[in-house]
Amino acid sequence: MVTPDFPTLSRRGFLRAGSLLAASLSAFRLPGADSITLPFANGERPLVKYPQKRPLIRHTTRPPQLETPFSVFNESLLTPNDAFFVRYHLTNSPPKPEALQPDQFRLTVKGKVATPLTLSVEELKTRFEIAEVVAVNQCSGNSRGFFQPRVQGGQLGHGAMGCARWRGVRLADVLKAAGLDATAKQVVFNGLDTPFLPATPDFLKAIDADQALDPEILLAFEQNGEPLPWLNGFPLRLVVPGHYGTYWIKHLHEITATDAEFKGFFMNPGYRIPDDPCAAIEPGTTPKRTVPISRFNVRSFITSVEAGATLKAGVQTLLRGIAFDDGHGIREVVFSADGGRSWRAAELGKPVDKYAFREWTVAFTPERAGPLTLMAKATNRLGQSQPLEPLWNPSGYMRNCVEPISVHVA
Amino acid sequence: MSPKLRLKLTRFAVRRLVAAFCVLTAPLAEIPVEPAKNSFASDAWKLPEGQPALRAGPGADLVTNNCLLCHSADYVATQPPLTRAQWQAGVEKMRGKFGAPIKTNDVTALVDYLTNNYGK
Repeated sequence: MVTPDFPTLSRRGFLRAGSLLAASLSAFRLPGADSITLPFANGERPLVKYPQKRPLIRHTTRPPQLETPFSVFNESLLTPNDAFFVRYHLTNSPPKPEALQPDQFRLTVKGKVATPLTLSVEELKTRFEIAEVVAVNQCSGNSRGFFQPRVQGGQLGHGAMGCARWRGVRLADVLKAAGLDATAKQVVFNGLDTPFLPATPDFLKAIDADQALDPEILLAFEQNGEPLPWLNGFPLRLVVPGHYGTYWIKHLHEITATDAEFKGFFMNPGYRIPDDPCAAIEPGTTPKRTVPISRFNVRSFITSVEAGATLKAGVQTLLRGIAFDDGHGIREVVFSADGGRSWRAAELGKPVDKYAFREWTVAFTPERAGPLTLMAKATNRLGQSQPLEPLWNPSGYMRNCVEPISVHVA
Repeated sequence: MSPKLRLKLTRFAVRRLVAAFCVLTAPLAEIPVEPAKNSFASDAWKLPEGQPALRAGPGADLVTNNCLLCHSADYVATQPPLTRAQWQAGVEKMRGKFGAPIKTNDVTALVDYLTNNYGK
Protein backbone atom coordinates (compact mmCIF):
# COMPACT_ATOMS: atom_id res chain seq x y z
CA MET A 1 0.00 0.00 0.00
CA VAL A 2 2.93 2.36 -0.37
CA THR A 3 1.51 5.05 -2.63
CA PRO A 4 3.47 5.34 -5.83
CA ASP A 5 1.44 8.34 -7.03
CA PHE A 6 3.00 10.74 -4.57
CA PRO A 7 5.56 13.23 -5.86
CA THR A 8 9.03 12.07 -4.95
CA LEU A 9 11.28 14.67 -3.46
CA SER A 10 14.94 13.90 -3.16
CA ARG A 11 16.39 13.43 0.30
CA ARG A 12 19.19 15.94 0.08
CA GLY A 13 21.43 17.31 2.76
CA PHE A 14 18.39 19.00 4.23
CA LEU A 15 17.45 15.75 5.85
CA ARG A 16 20.51 15.75 8.01
CA ALA A 17 20.10 16.22 11.68
CA GLY A 18 21.99 18.92 13.52
CA SER A 19 24.07 16.96 15.97
CA LEU A 20 24.37 19.98 18.22
CA LEU A 21 20.61 20.07 18.55
CA ALA A 22 20.57 16.54 19.85
CA ALA A 23 22.20 17.82 23.01
CA SER A 24 19.29 20.13 23.69
CA LEU A 25 16.61 17.44 23.39
CA SER A 26 14.38 16.36 26.22
CA ALA A 27 14.01 19.62 28.05
CA PHE A 28 11.78 17.97 30.59
CA ARG A 29 13.96 14.98 31.28
CA LEU A 30 17.17 14.92 33.25
CA PRO A 31 19.81 12.40 32.14
CA GLY A 32 19.27 9.14 33.96
CA ALA A 33 16.12 10.37 35.65
CA ASP A 34 13.37 7.88 36.27
CA SER A 35 10.57 10.36 35.91
CA ILE A 36 9.40 12.97 33.44
CA THR A 37 7.29 16.08 33.98
CA LEU A 38 4.78 16.75 31.24
CA PRO A 39 4.21 20.51 30.89
CA PHE A 40 0.80 20.76 32.58
CA ALA A 41 -0.47 20.76 36.17
CA ASN A 42 0.09 17.41 37.93
CA GLY A 43 2.20 16.24 34.98
CA GLU A 44 4.91 14.25 36.77
CA ARG A 45 5.03 10.59 35.68
CA PRO A 46 7.45 7.73 36.32
CA LEU A 47 9.47 6.25 33.45
CA VAL A 48 8.95 2.50 33.77
CA LYS A 49 10.29 -0.44 31.81
CA TYR A 50 7.78 -3.05 30.65
CA PRO A 51 8.40 -6.34 28.81
CA GLN A 52 9.70 -5.63 25.27
CA LYS A 53 9.70 -1.90 26.06
CA ARG A 54 12.31 0.68 26.96
CA PRO A 55 11.35 2.91 29.93
CA LEU A 56 8.15 4.73 28.91
CA ILE A 57 6.00 7.39 30.54
CA ARG A 58 3.61 5.51 32.76
CA HIS A 59 0.21 7.07 33.25
CA THR A 60 -1.51 4.11 34.85
CA THR A 61 -0.46 0.72 36.21
CA ARG A 62 -3.57 -1.45 36.09
CA PRO A 63 -4.38 -1.63 33.25
CA PRO A 64 -1.15 -0.22 31.80
CA GLN A 65 -1.16 3.02 29.87
CA LEU A 66 2.28 4.00 28.61
CA GLU A 67 3.27 7.03 26.54
CA THR A 68 6.23 7.43 24.19
CA PRO A 69 8.77 10.05 25.36
CA PHE A 70 8.61 12.75 22.70
CA SER A 71 12.33 12.64 21.85
CA VAL A 72 11.70 9.19 20.27
CA PHE A 73 9.93 10.88 17.35
CA ASN A 74 13.26 12.39 16.33
CA GLU A 75 14.99 8.98 16.21
CA SER A 76 13.34 7.57 13.09
CA LEU A 77 10.17 7.98 11.06
CA LEU A 78 8.96 4.58 12.16
CA THR A 79 8.46 4.47 15.90
CA PRO A 80 10.49 1.60 17.40
CA ASN A 81 8.37 -1.21 18.80
CA ASP A 82 10.02 -0.88 22.19
CA ALA A 83 8.91 2.76 22.40
CA PHE A 84 5.42 2.39 20.91
CA PHE A 85 2.64 3.70 23.19
CA VAL A 86 0.30 1.36 25.08
CA ARG A 87 -3.34 2.05 25.88
CA TYR A 88 -5.66 -0.45 27.55
CA HIS A 89 -9.16 -0.01 28.98
CA LEU A 90 -9.98 -3.15 30.93
CA THR A 91 -8.55 -4.61 34.13
CA ASN A 92 -7.34 -7.91 32.71
CA SER A 93 -4.93 -6.31 30.25
CA PRO A 94 -2.80 -7.36 28.57
CA PRO A 95 -4.21 -10.92 28.33
CA LYS A 96 -1.98 -13.60 29.84
CA PRO A 97 0.70 -14.78 27.42
CA GLU A 98 -0.50 -18.42 27.60
CA ALA A 99 -3.80 -17.49 25.88
CA LEU A 100 -1.88 -15.85 23.04
CA GLN A 101 0.36 -18.76 22.08
CA PRO A 102 -0.12 -20.44 18.66
CA ASP A 103 -1.68 -23.60 20.13
CA GLN A 104 -4.24 -21.56 22.05
CA PHE A 105 -5.04 -18.43 20.08
CA ARG A 106 -7.81 -18.56 17.47
CA LEU A 107 -9.67 -15.86 15.55
CA THR A 108 -13.36 -16.57 15.05
CA VAL A 109 -15.52 -14.88 12.42
CA LYS A 110 -19.24 -15.27 13.09
CA GLY A 111 -22.67 -13.65 13.10
CA LYS A 112 -24.17 -12.61 9.76
CA VAL A 113 -21.83 -14.73 7.65
CA ALA A 114 -22.49 -17.77 5.46
CA THR A 115 -19.57 -19.81 6.87
CA PRO A 116 -18.29 -19.04 10.36
CA LEU A 117 -14.51 -19.38 10.53
CA THR A 118 -12.03 -20.34 13.23
CA LEU A 119 -8.46 -19.57 12.24
CA SER A 120 -5.02 -19.68 13.79
CA VAL A 121 -2.58 -16.91 12.90
CA GLU A 122 -0.66 -19.44 10.84
CA GLU A 123 -3.81 -20.27 8.87
CA LEU A 124 -4.44 -16.56 8.26
CA LYS A 125 -0.89 -16.27 6.87
CA THR A 126 -1.25 -19.22 4.52
CA ARG A 127 -4.89 -18.84 3.38
CA PHE A 128 -4.86 -15.12 2.59
CA GLU A 129 -2.69 -12.71 0.63
CA ILE A 130 -0.21 -10.78 2.79
CA ALA A 131 -0.55 -6.98 2.76
CA GLU A 132 1.40 -4.13 4.34
CA VAL A 133 0.84 -0.52 5.26
CA VAL A 134 2.99 2.08 7.01
CA ALA A 135 0.49 3.95 9.13
CA VAL A 136 0.21 6.19 12.14
CA ASN A 137 -1.75 4.96 15.11
CA GLN A 138 -2.87 7.72 17.43
CA CYS A 139 -4.93 7.64 20.60
CA SER A 140 -8.16 9.68 20.43
CA GLY A 141 -7.03 11.48 23.59
CA ASN A 142 -3.45 12.17 22.51
CA SER A 143 -2.45 15.57 24.01
CA ARG A 144 -5.50 15.62 26.32
CA GLY A 145 -3.38 17.05 29.15
CA PHE A 146 -3.15 20.34 27.25
CA PHE A 147 -6.92 20.91 27.16
CA GLN A 148 -8.11 24.09 28.83
CA PRO A 149 -10.32 23.85 30.76
CA ARG A 150 -8.87 20.47 31.75
CA VAL A 151 -11.06 17.40 31.22
CA GLN A 152 -11.14 13.94 32.82
CA GLY A 153 -9.36 11.01 31.22
CA GLY A 154 -5.77 9.98 30.54
CA GLN A 155 -3.70 13.16 30.91
CA LEU A 156 -1.49 12.50 27.91
CA GLY A 157 1.27 14.60 26.41
CA HIS A 158 1.85 14.33 22.66
CA GLY A 159 3.33 10.82 22.79
CA ALA A 160 0.22 8.61 22.48
CA MET A 161 0.96 8.18 18.78
CA GLY A 162 3.37 6.20 16.67
CA CYS A 163 4.04 5.19 13.10
CA ALA A 164 4.84 1.60 12.17
CA ARG A 165 4.99 -0.82 9.27
CA TRP A 166 2.04 -3.16 9.81
CA ARG A 167 1.94 -6.50 8.03
CA GLY A 168 -1.01 -8.85 7.96
CA VAL A 169 -3.95 -9.94 5.85
CA ARG A 170 -6.87 -7.88 4.60
CA LEU A 171 -9.99 -7.89 6.76
CA ALA A 172 -12.02 -7.73 3.52
CA ASP A 173 -10.51 -11.02 2.29
CA VAL A 174 -11.37 -12.78 5.56
CA LEU A 175 -14.93 -11.39 5.58
CA LYS A 176 -15.37 -12.50 1.97
CA ALA A 177 -14.08 -15.99 2.80
CA ALA A 178 -16.66 -16.16 5.57
CA GLY A 179 -19.35 -14.92 3.17
CA LEU A 180 -20.41 -11.65 4.79
CA ASP A 181 -24.18 -11.46 4.54
CA ALA A 182 -25.71 -8.67 2.45
CA THR A 183 -27.94 -7.81 5.42
CA ALA A 184 -24.95 -7.19 7.71
CA LYS A 185 -25.00 -3.61 9.00
CA GLN A 186 -21.90 -3.52 11.17
CA VAL A 187 -18.90 -5.64 12.03
CA VAL A 188 -17.93 -5.83 15.72
CA PHE A 189 -14.39 -6.50 16.96
CA ASN A 190 -13.38 -7.99 20.30
CA GLY A 191 -9.97 -8.56 21.86
CA LEU A 192 -8.94 -10.99 24.61
CA ASP A 193 -8.67 -8.26 27.25
CA THR A 194 -11.53 -8.52 29.74
CA PRO A 195 -13.04 -6.52 32.60
CA PHE A 196 -12.70 -7.58 36.25
CA LEU A 197 -16.41 -7.19 37.09
CA PRO A 198 -19.10 -8.89 34.98
CA ALA A 199 -21.07 -5.61 35.08
CA THR A 200 -18.30 -3.68 33.31
CA PRO A 201 -18.79 -3.39 29.54
CA ASP A 202 -16.30 -5.28 27.40
CA PHE A 203 -14.16 -3.22 25.03
CA LEU A 204 -15.89 -3.83 21.70
CA LYS A 205 -15.71 -1.61 18.64
CA ALA A 206 -17.90 -1.58 15.53
CA ILE A 207 -17.45 -0.30 12.02
CA ASP A 208 -20.05 -0.21 9.27
CA ALA A 209 -20.13 -3.32 7.07
CA ASP A 210 -19.34 -1.44 3.84
CA GLN A 211 -16.33 0.21 5.48
CA ALA A 212 -15.17 -3.17 6.82
CA LEU A 213 -14.68 -4.28 3.21
CA ASP A 214 -12.15 -1.48 2.62
CA PRO A 215 -9.03 -3.36 1.42
CA GLU A 216 -6.78 -1.03 3.46
CA ILE A 217 -7.96 -2.41 6.81
CA LEU A 218 -5.63 -5.17 8.02
CA LEU A 219 -5.57 -7.96 10.54
CA ALA A 220 -1.93 -7.39 11.42
CA PHE A 221 0.47 -9.87 12.99
CA GLU A 222 3.71 -7.92 12.47
CA GLN A 223 4.85 -4.48 13.52
CA ASN A 224 8.07 -3.14 11.99
CA GLY A 225 9.10 -6.59 10.78
CA GLU A 226 8.63 -8.35 14.11
CA PRO A 227 5.67 -10.11 15.72
CA LEU A 228 3.45 -7.54 17.46
CA PRO A 229 4.76 -6.75 20.93
CA TRP A 230 2.70 -8.28 23.71
CA LEU A 231 1.51 -4.84 24.86
CA ASN A 232 0.60 -3.78 21.31
CA GLY A 233 -1.77 -6.64 20.60
CA PHE A 234 0.19 -9.88 20.06
CA PRO A 235 -0.58 -12.00 18.14
CA LEU A 236 -3.20 -10.13 16.04
CA ARG A 237 -4.63 -6.61 15.93
CA LEU A 238 -6.89 -4.58 13.72
CA VAL A 239 -5.16 -1.82 11.75
CA VAL A 240 -7.51 0.88 10.48
CA PRO A 241 -5.25 3.37 8.65
CA GLY A 242 -6.18 7.03 9.10
CA HIS A 243 -8.50 6.22 12.03
CA TYR A 244 -8.00 6.73 15.76
CA GLY A 245 -6.48 3.92 17.80
CA THR A 246 -9.75 3.08 19.53
CA TYR A 247 -10.64 0.98 16.46
CA TRP A 248 -7.29 -0.84 16.33
CA ILE A 249 -8.49 -3.70 18.57
CA LYS A 250 -5.57 -5.58 20.15
CA HIS A 251 -5.38 -9.38 20.73
CA LEU A 252 -8.26 -9.52 18.22
CA HIS A 253 -10.02 -12.89 18.58
CA GLU A 254 -13.63 -12.30 17.60
CA ILE A 255 -15.21 -10.67 14.56
CA THR A 256 -19.02 -10.60 14.58
CA ALA A 257 -21.18 -9.32 11.74
CA THR A 258 -24.45 -7.85 13.02
CA ASP A 259 -27.69 -6.87 11.29
CA ALA A 260 -28.31 -3.98 13.69
CA GLU A 261 -26.21 -1.05 14.83
CA PHE A 262 -23.99 -2.16 17.71
CA LYS A 263 -24.75 -0.24 20.92
CA GLY A 264 -21.89 -1.09 23.28
CA PHE A 265 -20.57 1.46 25.78
CA PHE A 266 -17.36 2.17 23.89
CA MET A 267 -19.36 3.16 20.78
CA ASN A 268 -22.04 5.07 22.67
CA PRO A 269 -21.65 7.04 24.90
CA GLY A 270 -17.90 6.26 24.80
CA TYR A 271 -15.61 7.70 22.12
CA ARG A 272 -18.09 10.25 20.76
CA ILE A 273 -17.29 13.71 19.42
CA PRO A 274 -19.52 16.72 18.85
CA ASP A 275 -21.33 16.38 15.52
CA ASP A 276 -19.57 19.37 14.02
CA PRO A 277 -16.90 19.64 11.29
CA CYS A 278 -14.29 20.70 13.88
CA ALA A 279 -15.41 18.23 16.58
CA ALA A 280 -15.43 21.24 18.89
CA ILE A 281 -17.81 23.23 21.06
CA GLU A 282 -17.58 26.23 23.39
CA PRO A 283 -15.28 25.25 26.28
CA GLY A 284 -17.16 24.02 29.30
CA THR A 285 -20.41 23.28 27.44
CA THR A 286 -22.12 20.01 26.41
CA PRO A 287 -22.59 18.97 22.77
CA LYS A 288 -26.17 18.76 21.45
CA ARG A 289 -25.45 15.85 19.12
CA THR A 290 -22.53 13.45 19.00
CA VAL A 291 -21.12 10.95 16.49
CA PRO A 292 -18.49 8.20 16.87
CA ILE A 293 -14.92 9.48 16.58
CA SER A 294 -13.38 8.30 13.31
CA ARG A 295 -10.61 9.85 11.18
CA PHE A 296 -7.49 11.79 12.17
CA ASN A 297 -7.31 15.51 11.63
CA VAL A 298 -4.08 17.17 10.42
CA ARG A 299 -1.19 17.45 12.89
CA SER A 300 2.43 18.51 12.82
CA PHE A 301 5.21 18.67 15.38
CA ILE A 302 8.71 20.04 15.66
CA THR A 303 10.79 17.06 16.84
CA SER A 304 14.41 18.23 16.78
CA VAL A 305 14.02 20.82 19.54
CA GLU A 306 11.89 20.69 22.63
CA ALA A 307 10.60 23.60 24.69
CA GLY A 308 13.34 25.29 26.71
CA ALA A 309 16.13 24.38 24.28
CA THR A 310 18.91 26.88 23.55
CA LEU A 311 19.82 27.85 19.98
CA LYS A 312 22.86 29.93 19.00
CA ALA A 313 22.44 33.37 17.46
CA GLY A 314 23.90 33.63 13.96
CA VAL A 315 24.33 29.85 13.64
CA GLN A 316 22.22 27.99 11.09
CA THR A 317 20.42 24.95 12.42
CA LEU A 318 18.28 22.46 10.58
CA LEU A 319 14.98 22.09 12.33
CA ARG A 320 13.06 18.92 11.74
CA GLY A 321 9.65 17.57 12.45
CA ILE A 322 6.80 15.32 11.39
CA ALA A 323 3.33 15.85 9.97
CA PHE A 324 0.46 13.49 9.24
CA ASP A 325 -3.24 13.35 8.43
CA ASP A 326 -5.83 10.67 7.75
CA GLY A 327 -4.33 9.52 4.46
CA HIS A 328 -5.10 12.31 2.03
CA GLY A 329 -1.44 13.25 2.25
CA ILE A 330 0.46 16.28 3.53
CA ARG A 331 0.74 18.97 0.89
CA GLU A 332 2.65 21.63 2.80
CA VAL A 333 4.29 22.40 6.12
CA VAL A 334 5.04 26.01 6.99
CA PHE A 335 7.33 27.24 9.74
CA SER A 336 7.30 30.40 11.83
CA ALA A 337 9.96 31.71 14.19
CA ASP A 338 8.10 34.85 15.24
CA GLY A 339 5.08 33.43 17.00
CA GLY A 340 3.03 33.06 13.82
CA ARG A 341 3.41 36.56 12.30
CA SER A 342 5.31 35.27 9.28
CA TRP A 343 5.58 31.81 7.77
CA ARG A 344 7.78 30.11 5.23
CA ALA A 345 7.63 26.72 3.58
CA ALA A 346 9.54 23.81 5.04
CA GLU A 347 11.01 21.12 2.79
CA LEU A 348 9.00 17.92 2.80
CA GLY A 349 10.81 14.59 3.01
CA LYS A 350 10.11 11.70 0.69
CA PRO A 351 6.69 10.23 1.52
CA VAL A 352 6.94 6.75 3.07
CA ASP A 353 3.20 6.03 2.81
CA LYS A 354 0.15 8.28 2.68
CA TYR A 355 -0.74 7.15 6.21
CA ALA A 356 2.78 7.55 7.63
CA PHE A 357 4.61 10.35 9.41
CA ARG A 358 5.93 12.78 6.79
CA GLU A 359 9.27 14.32 7.64
CA TRP A 360 9.86 18.05 7.14
CA THR A 361 12.96 20.17 7.61
CA VAL A 362 13.76 23.84 7.54
CA ALA A 363 17.11 25.67 7.76
CA PHE A 364 16.86 28.39 10.36
CA THR A 365 19.33 30.99 11.67
CA PRO A 366 18.22 32.85 14.80
CA GLU A 367 19.39 36.45 14.40
CA ARG A 368 19.77 37.72 17.96
CA ALA A 369 19.75 36.54 21.53
CA GLY A 370 16.50 36.31 23.41
CA PRO A 371 13.32 34.25 23.59
CA LEU A 372 11.75 32.84 20.41
CA THR A 373 8.54 30.97 19.63
CA LEU A 374 8.80 28.32 16.91
CA MET A 375 5.73 26.90 15.17
CA ALA A 376 4.95 24.42 12.40
CA LYS A 377 1.65 24.15 10.57
CA ALA A 378 0.69 21.44 8.08
CA THR A 379 -1.95 21.41 5.34
CA ASN A 380 -3.16 18.28 3.59
CA ARG A 381 -4.17 17.77 -0.03
CA LEU A 382 -7.81 18.57 0.80
CA GLY A 383 -6.69 21.95 2.16
CA GLN A 384 -7.42 20.93 5.76
CA SER A 385 -4.96 22.49 8.19
CA GLN A 386 -4.37 23.19 11.87
CA PRO A 387 -5.97 25.96 13.94
CA LEU A 388 -3.64 28.42 15.69
CA GLU A 389 -5.76 28.29 18.83
CA PRO A 390 -6.77 24.99 20.48
CA LEU A 391 -10.32 23.70 20.02
CA TRP A 392 -12.22 22.06 22.86
CA ASN A 393 -14.57 19.14 23.43
CA PRO A 394 -15.59 17.50 26.73
CA SER A 395 -13.70 14.23 26.17
CA GLY A 396 -10.38 15.82 25.26
CA TYR A 397 -10.22 14.23 21.81
CA MET A 398 -8.60 15.23 18.51
CA ARG A 399 -6.36 18.11 19.62
CA ASN A 400 -4.61 19.33 16.49
CA CYS A 401 -3.75 22.98 16.95
CA VAL A 402 -0.34 24.41 16.09
CA GLU A 403 1.95 23.59 19.03
CA PRO A 404 4.23 26.57 19.77
CA ILE A 405 7.66 25.81 21.20
CA SER A 406 9.44 28.44 23.26
CA VAL A 407 13.22 28.36 22.90
CA HIS A 408 16.04 30.61 24.00
CA VAL A 409 18.63 32.10 21.68
CA ALA A 410 22.04 32.71 23.26
CA MET B 1 62.49 19.87 23.98
CA SER B 2 64.03 16.86 22.31
CA PRO B 3 63.56 16.49 18.53
CA LYS B 4 61.76 13.20 19.22
CA LEU B 5 59.26 14.86 21.53
CA ARG B 6 58.82 17.77 19.11
CA LEU B 7 58.05 15.29 16.28
CA LYS B 8 55.59 13.49 18.54
CA LEU B 9 53.82 16.74 19.42
CA THR B 10 53.73 17.80 15.76
CA ARG B 11 52.24 14.46 14.78
CA PHE B 12 49.70 14.80 17.57
CA ALA B 13 48.77 18.32 16.42
CA VAL B 14 48.40 17.15 12.81
CA ARG B 15 46.23 14.23 13.87
CA ARG B 16 44.05 16.58 15.90
CA LEU B 17 43.70 18.88 12.92
CA VAL B 18 42.80 16.03 10.60
CA ALA B 19 40.33 14.67 13.12
CA ALA B 20 38.72 18.09 13.56
CA PHE B 21 38.52 18.49 9.78
CA CYS B 22 36.85 15.11 9.45
CA VAL B 23 34.29 16.01 12.13
CA LEU B 24 33.52 19.30 10.40
CA THR B 25 33.10 17.82 6.96
CA ALA B 26 31.49 14.49 7.82
CA PRO B 27 27.86 14.32 6.72
CA LEU B 28 25.50 14.64 9.66
CA ALA B 29 23.38 11.62 10.43
CA GLU B 30 20.25 11.32 8.32
CA ILE B 31 17.10 10.40 10.15
CA PRO B 32 16.51 6.73 9.36
CA VAL B 33 13.10 5.55 8.22
CA GLU B 34 13.44 2.20 9.94
CA PRO B 35 13.68 2.04 13.73
CA ALA B 36 16.54 0.28 15.47
CA LYS B 37 15.95 -3.46 16.01
CA ASN B 38 15.61 -4.75 19.51
CA SER B 39 16.22 -8.06 21.11
CA PHE B 40 13.33 -9.23 23.22
CA ALA B 41 14.86 -12.56 24.14
CA SER B 42 15.70 -11.65 27.72
CA ASP B 43 12.40 -10.01 28.59
CA ALA B 44 10.34 -11.75 31.20
CA TRP B 45 6.57 -11.81 30.71
CA LYS B 46 6.03 -9.98 33.92
CA LEU B 47 4.41 -6.59 34.39
CA PRO B 48 6.07 -4.17 36.81
CA GLU B 49 3.99 -3.10 39.77
CA GLY B 50 4.18 -0.11 42.07
CA GLN B 51 1.12 2.03 41.77
CA PRO B 52 1.11 5.24 43.84
CA ALA B 53 -0.48 5.25 47.29
CA LEU B 54 -3.72 7.15 47.79
CA ARG B 55 -3.52 10.32 49.87
CA ALA B 56 -4.51 9.58 53.45
CA GLY B 57 -7.79 11.07 54.60
CA PRO B 58 -11.39 10.28 55.51
CA GLY B 59 -12.90 8.22 52.70
CA ALA B 60 -9.64 6.77 51.35
CA ASP B 61 -10.91 3.31 52.33
CA LEU B 62 -13.95 3.86 50.10
CA VAL B 63 -11.66 4.34 47.11
CA THR B 64 -9.66 1.25 48.05
CA ASN B 65 -12.78 -0.90 48.40
CA ASN B 66 -14.84 0.42 45.48
CA CYS B 67 -12.43 1.67 42.86
CA LEU B 68 -9.16 -0.24 43.15
CA LEU B 69 -10.83 -3.57 42.38
CA CYS B 70 -10.68 -2.66 38.71
CA HIS B 71 -8.00 0.00 38.33
CA SER B 72 -4.93 1.36 40.04
CA ALA B 73 -4.85 4.49 42.18
CA ASP B 74 -2.99 6.41 39.47
CA TYR B 75 -6.32 6.63 37.61
CA VAL B 76 -7.19 9.09 40.39
CA ALA B 77 -3.77 10.54 41.13
CA THR B 78 -2.87 11.54 37.56
CA GLN B 79 -6.01 13.64 37.05
CA PRO B 80 -5.69 17.42 37.05
CA PRO B 81 -7.33 19.17 40.00
CA LEU B 82 -11.01 18.58 39.17
CA THR B 83 -14.11 20.35 40.43
CA ARG B 84 -16.55 18.61 42.72
CA ALA B 85 -18.99 18.37 39.81
CA GLN B 86 -16.34 16.61 37.69
CA TRP B 87 -15.50 14.11 40.45
CA GLN B 88 -19.24 13.57 41.01
CA ALA B 89 -19.66 12.82 37.28
CA GLY B 90 -16.70 10.43 37.38
CA VAL B 91 -18.14 8.50 40.33
CA GLU B 92 -21.59 8.36 38.68
CA LYS B 93 -20.03 7.04 35.47
CA MET B 94 -18.16 4.30 37.32
CA ARG B 95 -21.34 3.32 39.23
CA GLY B 96 -23.79 3.62 36.36
CA LYS B 97 -21.78 2.48 33.33
CA PHE B 98 -18.91 0.38 34.70
CA GLY B 99 -20.73 -1.41 37.51
CA ALA B 100 -18.56 -0.17 40.38
CA PRO B 101 -20.15 -1.58 43.58
CA ILE B 102 -20.51 1.83 45.28
CA LYS B 103 -23.39 1.98 47.75
CA THR B 104 -25.77 4.93 47.35
CA ASN B 105 -24.93 6.05 50.91
CA ASP B 106 -21.21 6.14 50.12
CA VAL B 107 -21.35 8.37 47.04
CA THR B 108 -21.19 11.68 48.93
CA ALA B 109 -18.29 10.55 51.14
CA LEU B 110 -16.42 9.25 48.09
CA VAL B 111 -16.89 12.51 46.17
CA ASP B 112 -15.87 14.43 49.32
CA TYR B 113 -12.63 12.46 49.55
CA LEU B 114 -11.80 12.92 45.85
CA THR B 115 -12.60 16.64 45.90
CA ASN B 116 -10.70 17.27 49.15
CA ASN B 117 -7.61 15.37 48.03
CA TYR B 118 -7.58 15.63 44.22
CA GLY B 119 -9.88 18.55 43.58
CA LYS B 120 -9.87 22.27 43.27
